[in-house]
Amino acid sequence: MCRFILPLLLAVAGLILLGQGGYIYAKATLAQILLERAFTESIATGRETRPWSWADTWPVARIEIKRIHASTIVLAGSSGQALAFGPGHVENTPDAGERGVAVYSAHRDTHFRFLQNVAIGDEIDVTRRDGKKFRYRADSTSIVRFDASGIDPLRDGYGLVLSTCWPFEALTPGPDRYLLHATLIGPVP
Amino acid sequence: MTICGEIQPDRRTRLSRKMRVILFFAFEGAAALLIGFAALFLSFEPAWSAERAQTTFLKPGDVRSGSLLLKTEDGYTDASRLGIDVDITVSGPTVRARVTQIFRNPTQHWVEAVYVYPLPSGGAVDTLKMVVGDRVIVGDIKERQQARIIYEQAARNGQKAALTEQERPNIFTNSVANIGPGETVLVQIEYQEQVAQSGNEFSLRLPMVIGPRYNPAPVVQSVDFRPGGGWGASKSDPVPDRDRISPQVLDPATNAPVNPTSITVRLQAGFPIGEIKSHHHTIKTESPDGSTFIIKLAEGVVPADRDFELTWKPAAEKAPSVGLFREHVGGSDYLLAFVTPPSVEQNDRKPLPREVIFVIDNSGSMGGVSIIQAKASLTYALGRLQPADRFNVIRFDHTMEMLFPASVPADRERVGQATSFVGALQANGGTEMVPAMRAALSDSVGDSNYVRQVVFLTDGAIGNEQQLFETINALRGRSRIFMVGIGSAPNTHLMTRAAELGRGAFTHIGSVEQVEERMRGLFSKLENPAVNNLTAKFSDATADITPSPIPDLYRDEPLILAAKLDKLAGSVEIKGRIGDRPWVVTLPLASAAEGKGLSKLWARRKIADAEVARTTRQESPEDADKTILALALDHQLVTRLTSLVAVDKTPSRPEGEPLKVSELPINLPAGWDFAKVFGERPRLPVTPMERRAEAGEARVQVAALKRAAPAVTAAPNTVQLPKTATDAELRMILGVIFLIFSLVLFAFNRRQALIP
Repeated sequence: MCRFILPLLLAVAGLILLGQGGYIYAKATLAQILLERAFTESIATGRETRPWSWADTWPVARIEIKRIHASTIVLAGSSGQALAFGPGHVENTPDAGERGVAVYSAHRDTHFRFLQNVAIGDEIDVTRRDGKKFRYRADSTSIVRFDASGIDPLRDGYGLVLSTCWPFEALTPGPDRYLLHATLIGPVP
Repeated sequence: MTICGEIQPDRRTRLSRKMRVILFFAFEGAAALLIGFAALFLSFEPAWSAERAQTTFLKPGDVRSGSLLLKTEDGYTDASRLGIDVDITVSGPTVRARVTQIFRNPTQHWVEAVYVYPLPSGGAVDTLKMVVGDRVIVGDIKERQQARIIYEQAARNGQKAALTEQERPNIFTNSVANIGPGETVLVQIEYQEQVAQSGNEFSLRLPMVIGPRYNPAPVVQSVDFRPGGGWGASKSDPVPDRDRISPQVLDPATNAPVNPTSITVRLQAGFPIGEIKSHHHTIKTESPDGSTFIIKLAEGVVPADRDFELTWKPAAEKAPSVGLFREHVGGSDYLLAFVTPPSVEQNDRKPLPREVIFVIDNSGSMGGVSIIQAKASLTYALGRLQPADRFNVIRFDHTMEMLFPASVPADRERVGQATSFVGALQANGGTEMVPAMRAALSDSVGDSNYVRQVVFLTDGAIGNEQQLFETINALRGRSRIFMVGIGSAPNTHLMTRAAELGRGAFTHIGSVEQVEERMRGLFSKLENPAVNNLTAKFSDATADITPSPIPDLYRDEPLILAAKLDKLAGSVEIKGRIGDRPWVVTLPLASAAEGKGLSKLWARRKIADAEVARTTRQESPEDADKTILALALDHQLVTRLTSLVAVDKTPSRPEGEPLKVSELPINLPAGWDFAKVFGERPRLPVTPMERRAEAGEARVQVAALKRAAPAVTAAPNTVQLPKTATDAELRMILGVIFLIFSLVLFAFNRRQALIP
């Protein structure tokens, strides 16, 4: 009988790990559905709408890149809890369409996995909670350390930065961040 | 394994075994999701319930600020921002400047902004206004302690409040409480100053940044004995207010410049102007009516990282040699007189030979362009020595070195030796100025056939100015001290006061191009006789004159006299001696022109006199403070003892919202070397201690000394990016590996059981 204990333990540990990993993906995917619903509602009502009753964050924008069929709902704040459900709008950076640099951040293996497919020149559409939509053009990428991003959120001009961890294939968290810089083309009617 | 042993290895059972393996995988997959869900809900539930309890009491904004507070622990610095606009009006002899600081709070918190900034050392700050929305709140002058209490009370009550305090005569602090999220508050201060004149040239100087000061460590290191008595007081901390004069300095290598500044100067000189020149900024000049010039920065906005220096010359060959201005304020008349004594050439008698002690500051703050300027200036000065002169060179950082044990004749060999000594100097280390001044003033030869002069080249970036002044006062003897301020942001207060106490003169060198011109000016002061024994006498009016007694004047320096009179009648007679010839000039008061803000200038000069009297112990500290306080309250001036405070009556910060203090960082003055001032740059992944240790014992000590000085922020104005990688993939891969391994073991066990 004892010969079964080791494989059984391993199987249980494996199942838990697999389940946790799967749960992270499931959460990320499921939450986006709820968020999409809440975001549509908040555009309609103009109020902060929580995607589920106990949520500590709420959707603030939608990022779309038509060419690669990517779309994702951004949440307020970039705490770990918020990032589990969707990209976060980094604190103390302006809203999209405002003067300065709006910074959105998300996990490289879930919501911002598509960043590796974004090419320079791609159009990025950001819809704000008030329903206004702004179109940006991706113009450069860079790799920086998390604490030396070089982004001045209050600089002149209208910019957008999408940030995620670098390298994309890595399995463990690291200090480097991949930045996609984009410039405002103008509002989309 | 008896159960397993019963199964026979035939074809049918083999097939069903394949089925069973598939079933096993399917089951495992389903179980994995189930268990995973359960495990994660278990681990997340307590955290969520805790936050839910909070959100019932607070608004959503608070939850966000809570998450931001967590960020603070990671080293997040919030980015309160500042813009500066300076509007200067020059009317004849006076400068009226309005400095508007625009405090912007881009954060989600209520913020108290604290900004440490420089002003001209002779500036009389008399107005504070705070603009909130469309309301203007005018500040009142109060005793310093009282003003602070009023301000802190208002800050606690959630009212907007502004406080202007003086840290040094040229360093001020503005604190603004309760700036709401996303809000902008304007704080405006105004000051009065007199135009500086040197020979044919008029100038004004607007300091824009404080060079990081070296503050000697707080150890009991000196005991001061009063002359005659055997009792002295030991000093504990040479810079008790070190925290108040050490704002954060941004490393220019990793940060964009902050604190954008725009400057407008309206120049009405009162005489036709020939040339207007800005020495460190490019300017645009326009003249709408021929007599007024409007000067603006060509680039529009510049970072506050160097002094703005503007000079203008009259169109006529010679500048007017006399200027007389009056103002009537509160029952008294105030008079400001500029008199330039004629330059008399020494013809018959050869001037006395000189003993010149050159002192050069090669501390870390002089790194970069400053040390180049200082070395060029000193090399020029050495070249100007006459064979009959004697000289010595002292260099100092936190250590000190005298080139020769005592002064030596300025022969070719020795001057060559000194030139190569100066050429080899490197800027590094702390700034222990007092021992160097002490050495320069020790007059061991005491030969009265020589005129003894000390030429001191420094940026004055120290916090213990008072100690230096006391040293000069105690030891100056017959030596005269000439200060040469080096770099883009020298400490003007230290320069003027040290030169005043040392009965010498001071000059600024802000760029390498200025070295020759300014040093030539300094040498004409050193080589020509001073105007001495100056007195001023009013024929009819009783006058309170400042400065008193009138200091000696050097070549090209005008006598600037301020006086408070009971009536504007009669004349004033100024007498003195140029070299060995008498000089006298009489000015009828009736011909004085109307001026503005002269009473403030007079009061500011009187306050400076009282501070000097306090340093020289001609007056007891209590008496001097009483004089200063009376003058300050009377004329509404910010001083060491008085502050301006403005409070908005309506509270704006809701109760319960916290107030965060945000000390605004400043730029490193242009041309300074960050690493020289602060030691190695702080880099997060590498521990700097190890790197410094490699560089040798001396460097470690220097770095440790420097650490005591201003705090350095690595990158407060860039966005700190969140962690954006999950370990989902890692977990899943590990999970699969575990499962496969368990399956292999399982199969292996079965086979063993099947084939015994």
